[in-house]
Amino acid sequence: MIRSAFASTAITVGFCLFVLLVVLVPVALLYPEPGEVLSRFLLGPFEKTRYMGNIVELATPSMLTALAVVLMFRCGAFNLGVEGSFFLGGLTTAAMVLWMPLPPLVGIPLALLAGAIVGSLVCGIPGIVKATTGASELVSSLMLNYAAVFIGLFVLNYYLRDPTAAMLSSDRFPAEYRFESLIPRTRIHIGSIVAVVACIIGAIYLNRTSQGLEVRISGTGNDFSRHLGLNSVALNIRIQVIGGMIAAFAGGIEMLGLYSRFTWQNTTGNGWTGVIVAIIARDNPILIIPAALFIGYLQVGGDLVSRAFGVPTEIVSLIQALVMICVTSVAIFQHPALRKFVQGNRGEAAQ
Amino acid sequence: MQMTGDETAPQKALVEFREIGKTYPNGTVALRNVSFQVIEGDILAVCGENGAGKSTLMKILAGIEQPTQGTIHYEGRQKRIADPNVAGDMGIGMVHQHFSLIRSLSVAENLALGQEPRRGLLIDRRAAADRVRELAQKFSLDVDPETKVGSLSVAAQQKVEILKALSRNTRLLILDEPSAVLTPQETQELFEQLRSLRARGVTIIFISHKLHEVRALANRITVIRSGEVVEDGVLSEMSDAAISKLVMGVDVTRASRNQRDLSAATPVVVVKKATVATGDSDRRIDAIDLTIRAGEILGIAGVDGSGQEGVVDLLCGNVQPDEGDISLLGRPMALATTLDWRRAGMAHLPGDRFQIGGAPHMSLVDNVMAGSHRDKQFTRGPFLRVDAMVARTNELIKTFNVRCLGPREPLNSLSGGNAQKLVAAREFSSNPKFLIVNQPTRGIDVAAAAMIHGELLRLSQNGTAILLVTSDLDELLQLSDRVAVMFDGRIAVVLENDGLTPERLGPYMLGLEKAS
Ligand SMILES: Nc1ncnc2c1ncn2[C@@H]1O[C@H](COP(=O)(O)OP(=O)(O)OP(=O)(O)O)[C@@H](O)[C@H]1O
Ligand SMILES: [Mg+2]
Repeated sequence: MIRSAFASTAITVGFCLFVLLVVLVPVALLYPEPGEVLSRFLLGPFEKTRYMGNIVELATPSMLTALAVVLMFRCGAFNLGVEGSFFLGGLTTAAMVLWMPLPPLVGIPLALLAGAIVGSLVCGIPGIVKATTGASELVSSLMLNYAAVFIGLFVLNYYLRDPTAAMLSSDRFPAEYRFESLIPRTRIHIGSIVAVVACIIGAIYLNRTSQGLEVRISGTGNDFSRHLGLNSVALNIRIQVIGGMIAAFAGGIEMLGLYSRFTWQNTTGNGWTGVIVAIIARDNPILIIPAALFIGYLQVGGDLVSRAFGVPTEIVSLIQALVMICVTSVAIFQHPALRKFVQGNRGEAAQ
Repeated sequence: MQMTGDETAPQKALVEFREIGKTYPNGTVALRNVSFQVIEGDILAVCGENGAGKSTLMKILAGIEQPTQGTIHYEGRQKRIADPNVAGDMGIGMVHQHFSLIRSLSVAENLALGQEPRRGLLIDRRAAADRVRELAQKFSLDVDPETKVGSLSVAAQQKVEILKALSRNTRLLILDEPSAVLTPQETQELFEQLRSLRARGVTIIFISHKLHEVRALANRITVIRSGEVVEDGVLSEMSDAAISKLVMGVDVTRASRNQRDLSAATPVVVVKKATVATGDSDRRIDAIDLTIRAGEILGIAGVDGSGQEGVVDLLCGNVQPDEGDISLLGRPMALATTLDWRRAGMAHLPGDRFQIGGAPHMSLVDNVMAGSHRDKQFTRGPFLRVDAMVARTNELIKTFNVRCLGPREPLNSLSGGNAQKLVAAREFSSNPKFLIVNQPTRGIDVAAAAMIHGELLRLSQNGTAILLVTSDLDELLQLSDRVAVMFDGRIAVVLENDGLTPERLGPYMLGLEKAS
């Protein structure tokens, strides 16, 4: 069991590297200095503290959204409302910070909590609709994402807008509400620590609590949980609300960590990245941490080569897409030859 | 036996296994040094205890698993059977121990999967359906190509599985415990069909735990124990006792029931005029009256689909009665859900162990502890006491003699019979006041069946009220204190088991007689 978990992680890492090279090498060859392009993409992100900081900043929100996705997927709910939850969470937190000038020690947690609660609707409502009418949570959560954006734009335009600013944005947040940077020359903030801790708590919840066991059982299909008498409908709704709260909380953290005003006019993509990270992490909360960092690393690398050589940033999406295809190809994972290659002959030795 | 065919014809090996060894990635050695031949035109029975390696060997022949050692020779030539498609091209078809059909697709779609008849880019549905009809007619296995597999009875699904295995010019048909899920009547019918297949020149390999079936069908037998062939020969030359001994390695003593008078014991489950009129037709029940007393084993007999499943559904909280009353130890249960039933002391070993009784991809610990995962003993606040759970799982693995590598392995790494023992272990160990067992020894070897029977009798001695549903009349009569015979959703009669015989039950099962 443990050995085979290790094997699939090793295979995943192998694929990530393989895909990286398969995409990068031909692209690099199109440029006059292919070696430069490659090394800039692969090694560039580690050259400066600032770049490494960027990796962590990018990974922070997607760790949390990925955790939300993993929890919901593991419970058998294919809910994609994280994108909208993230957006509404950010908006609500911003509004709270602007409207309720309490001392930061009270105000920040309150603003984040309010964001989490409001944002959780985008994941929670599809869950409730599924339970009562049977409508697919996948479809309704996707649609609600758009509703979330339009609500957000409405609130921004009519209530939060700073009329003196040149672009559509809210007033400036009071400085004492913004998270301080933890490491000089980066914008890494407390949210990164929160995200890592959250993933660890998520793993403990799933694997070491009674309710986590129920979540995993519900996720395997209805018959077994019905046989045991578990109320998987209620559990499903609860998990989708919790998932929404986590994603929305991530939106609030992102807002206070990296922004000085609310400026989002569309969803941010952090929810989608979370889905990608969740898939690469194979629904394992602990593996979310490296998976999110890997995606962050790709984005920073892509940015660097795009700025230096004009390489289109789409190659990052291409790499992500290919990695996802590979990782989800269960068929490949179960390929006996590949497994044998990774595990060697230790199988026989163990007997 | 008339089946050995022309004795003077030269015996040609269709398949020859040469020193086949198989070690699963997790380290389990399932087969070692297996060498024997499958003679063309034979019906070969492969026997052996749970976890002996029978399914593994057959999966290797069907291209689903790869051997880690040795070679397979087919028609005299060495072959590498890389995947099921290669096996299909060679004329090898297999019916699996656990159904592999897709329930949401129709019969025709299931059969066409992987070899779809095309019209341009599209699948030619008409051609697919025609092919099924043609096949069904050719092998006189009667199925409707348009029906969804999920809505078919188990016996009909079995037929579809067989048709699927036969759909590619099959010369070698492998059946892994085909009769485990069938009633005796259905088994008879299946055997007729297998005999006629053999008459057409199809070679058959067939796995079973039931000796009388092996006798009825096969002419050769290969016995596997702990991954090694211990016997390979002509069936008619071996006695039953010799075979049992070979299969199990030891003599098995059957558990036996003591005649008891339970008329004064407390009623545990009381059902009064319960009717369920909705749902699948073979799950409907009509004005059922039933009492199960503490310490009693009440067996339910009946032709398959007479309403036994309906009674199980009713008494485990899957459905609530449209009319009538139920109580458990005096508590009204007519509106109770499964959770309420479980809280009140019900446990249930379901007929389908993999879909309903367990989660194949989860570990043995999770599968065993599910249901008692909120007990004080195994929790500290919201947290699970994993060490206590593992200890408990190990204990049950030992008492129920489950063959596995360890408690953290996934359930689907167990052999079919061992997985069933594990699910039984979970349900039996919850100290139930009322226990429902549905086909308790399906797919289980003789020794394990005796162990399960022993456990059931022990529970009843400790006061558990047991409802036993089984299509195996021997088992029913061996264990039950009373037998309720069902026909057409009603209870035809309830008989004391003081030396009941199948002949006494027969007329009631067929609806020819009713209690006055
Ligand atoms: N996928 C798997 N991974 C690891 N071990 C496995 C796997 N499948 C089977 N085994 C192990 O291989 C051994 C042989 O299993 P197999 O399924 O061949 O038994 P069997 O003879 O068919 O038994 P049964 O009568 O219970 O069906 C068992 O010890 C089982 O635990
Ligand atoms: Mg088997």
